[in-house]
Amino acid sequence: MSVADLWSITPLGILGAGALVILLLGAVTPGRYGNSVGVVASLAAAGWALQSPPLAATGTGLVATPFARFFTVLLGVTAALALLISRDWLVRRKMAGEEYPATLLFATLGMVTVACAGNLLLLFLGLEALTFAFYILAAMDRDDPDSAEAGIKYLLMGGVAAAFIAFGLALLYAGTGSLELSSVAPPGRNGLLLAGWGLLLAGLAFKVSLVPFHLWTPDVYEGAPTPVVAFLATGSKSAGVAATLILLGRSGTGFLHHPLWLLACLSMVVGNLAALRQSKIKRMLGYSAIAQMGYLLMALLSGTATGAAASLFYLVVYGAMNLAAFGAVAALSGEGGGDLMDDYRGLGYRAPFRGGCLALAMISLAGIPPTAGFTGKFALFRATLMGGEISLAVVGVLSAAVSVYFYLRVVTALYLRSNEEETPIPAATPASSVALALSAALLLILGVWPGPLLELVEVIMK
Amino acid sequence: MVLTLLIFLPLLGGLPLLALNGRPVLARRLALAIAGAELGAMVLVTLRTPQLGVGTLPGGYFLMEDRSWIPTFGIRYLVGMDGISYLLAALTAFITPLAIFTSWRSIREKVGCHFALILLLEGAIMGIFLSLDLVLFYLFWEGMLIPMFLLIGVWGHGNRIRSALKFFLFTFSGSVLMLLGIIGLHLVHLAGGGKATFALPELIGTRFPPGVEGWLCAAFLLAFAVKAPLVPFHTWLPDAHTDAPTAGSVDLAGLLLKTGAYGFIRFAWPLFPHATARLTPLLYVVAVAGIIYGAWIAYAQTDMKRLVAYSSISHMGFIMLGIAAWTPLSLTGSLLQMVNHGITTGALFALVGMLGERAGTREISAFGGLWDRAPFLSGLFLLFAMASAGLPGLNNFVGEFLILTGSFRAAPLVTIFAFTGVVLTLLYTVRLAKLLLFVTPRGDLPLGEISRRELVILGTLAVVALYLGLHPTPFLQLLQGPVGLLTGGGS
Repeated sequence: MSVADLWSITPLGILGAGALVILLLGAVTPGRYGNSVGVVASLAAAGWALQSPPLAATGTGLVATPFARFFTVLLGVTAALALLISRDWLVRRKMAGEEYPATLLFATLGMVTVACAGNLLLLFLGLEALTFAFYILAAMDRDDPDSAEAGIKYLLMGGVAAAFIAFGLALLYAGTGSLELSSVAPPGRNGLLLAGWGLLLAGLAFKVSLVPFHLWTPDVYEGAPTPVVAFLATGSKSAGVAATLILLGRSGTGFLHHPLWLLACLSMVVGNLAALRQSKIKRMLGYSAIAQMGYLLMALLSGTATGAAASLFYLVVYGAMNLAAFGAVAALSGEGGGDLMDDYRGLGYRAPFRGGCLALAMISLAGIPPTAGFTGKFALFRATLMGGEISLAVVGVLSAAVSVYFYLRVVTALYLRSNEEETPIPAATPASSVALALSAALLLILGVWPGPLLELVEVIMK
Repeated sequence: MVLTLLIFLPLLGGLPLLALNGRPVLARRLALAIAGAELGAMVLVTLRTPQLGVGTLPGGYFLMEDRSWIPTFGIRYLVGMDGISYLLAALTAFITPLAIFTSWRSIREKVGCHFALILLLEGAIMGIFLSLDLVLFYLFWEGMLIPMFLLIGVWGHGNRIRSALKFFLFTFSGSVLMLLGIIGLHLVHLAGGGKATFALPELIGTRFPPGVEGWLCAAFLLAFAVKAPLVPFHTWLPDAHTDAPTAGSVDLAGLLLKTGAYGFIRFAWPLFPHATARLTPLLYVVAVAGIIYGAWIAYAQTDMKRLVAYSSISHMGFIMLGIAAWTPLSLTGSLLQMVNHGITTGALFALVGMLGERAGTREISAFGGLWDRAPFLSGLFLLFAMASAGLPGLNNFVGEFLILTGSFRAAPLVTIFAFTGVVLTLLYTVRLAKLLLFVTPRGDLPLGEISRRELVILGTLAVVALYLGLHPTPFLQLLQGPVGLLTGGGS
């Protein structure tokens, strides 16, 4: 193993070691430093990836391409923010301990492995590692039957998806005789390979919750602990998109055009229409996530570098929007409550900062300027039109117009309605305030000054 | 720099007010000071520009700022001012302090936020009138919806939440296709060998492959038609107007509707000359339908605010007629009428708000005999009602006259139909004035005489209305150059 190999696996090492240290701390100083160590470890992994030199291939099967480093930074920062959001929520729900930050770091380890994977086996291992961690995280709130239900649902659906991906990869291996990413190519008329790609696509569609493989999403979003959903919605989706980009980047999208078109179209339409009818905020955000992934897939459809670059930009924006939204939901929900949109009536005035962040996240998700959601959607629709997918862009933009209604319902509750009975809301805490402020600032900065990040993603995808 | 100042002074100045909910007196004064500074900046532009009509810069602009903004997409921060932009920016800077003044006492809750939103709205509307990059324009175009949504929804009356949502959904849905249209136009320009740009001056004259221009044009027209609003996309307007707070109504009628008409003139016609020429008959029908329908429905209203709202639809129909005819005379009339409508309808909404505040109701049937009890207020009401009806000597007459004369040459039959609208307007305004001012009082409403603050608001508007009516020449000279360039007749 050369020094360069060591260099490339250091972020993974930091994350893994961090998780183990947290577990050991549980024996010495239980319930005190776990969260902080988790934040430091994930930021350290991100920082390492920022400075490490690019490596196209190493003896470990991992790569450190600009693409992999971009995702390592994105996932590390996302994990750190998710931990900050979790901190006080866990204390309130009496779940503070070492197992939560450690499992979250293990999940991050899996995500980073996906982004850095140099062969199909590591890709699968990464996907499984992250999903496995989420089985535990989703069911973490042992006193809450909804959390257990969410855990079971995610486990069942995730298990099926894993089987699809594993079988799909096995068929690809059978067809080409190699697990190297370089052997991934358009299948032509080979039936074995086509079947493999079909299974793989279905499995990945499960991971990023595209219609019709989306059924778990609203249930898990609703039942799982809010900070877990924050990380599931951002980190896990980013890893799923990374896997999709890695595979489709090698194979091209030509032979998958019709299925991908259908997945994108159905996700946008079904996600946005179903979200209209929800009265629970987390469930609504679940359907919204389905639609948002539909927009992202729409830009990938053309298979161009422009589309991939737009999707990377949108992933950053999407992460910030969801961290702000779920972070605010977590910070505003105390012992109980905070489930229904009606619970947020008048909170824009009672908790101006957290309410403002939630409103900003909604406005951004709806794609209204001057927020990052607008620049992100602009990039996606530009890439889609450049790829010639005019009818899909029209479907997308019309479904986005529909979506404004349910996003504005939250804003309406926050500012336009008032609640006679003043339900108690938890006090603001420094950790979640920092995470919220950073996400909200990112939403505004990328809304008015997206130039540098756009140039970066263009360079990465070139 | 002054254009950037005009846009960002109210946008950034409004932000600190958001935190001043607990200090209403300070919030009011600060808001007025910022709006006053904005008006001052506008006066500065007026004084320092030797020739306000047509400028020496390409495209006839006399002020322009061009900076790189999002180079990856070819989006620039490009703002410019010609006679048309100048006139509408001046209207914005003039109406906003008056809108702040109208809600001086009536807003008691969350005062800081209210005035902050009025200023944010002003900044966004300035941005719309000054942007020459299509994406920058779209940014302000959509960005202005949130402040207006909150103004209606938080400080409105009656069914405020429903009206606010309806306003937002209508105008937003109308606009999303324009975003695709903007990107599509950009790509067509790129495919035709042009450089990657969203700048209006460079996109004008883009050659379209067959069948494309009509679709792109339709996407733009829909957005502007909803905002203007043209029949049948008008249904959000009466609700939004009726339930908005007074300052919101004044801004809505005075400024927001103008952005739709401005869009037609600045973007739709110059960018898509062939498609708009083909669609002209349809637009004539829509314009005349708006004139007659608006006036007809206004006559049947029992709520005076709703009446003024429907009268707006009718007036916007006239403006659309002048745009659709696209002759130098009719276009000048339309632009002038946009200002006139802002002044008179703004004043009428302020008056209706003042009467409503006093009486606690806006039902026309509850009033009567105002002339004896509040002669000053009644006199001003009559003045603005007559201005709105197009009485010669007052501002609206000039605009309507120019529109009808200019359109007659292009489409005589349409103009004859439109002319019946003038008569209908007279009917509902005279009826309103009669029922409010002259019949015997039907109840004992607490209708006091005009206060000093109200006199300042209405007096200022009255002076401008008279000036525009009696001496419109400076405004006509201002518009002559840019209108000449737009209609191809040269300046």
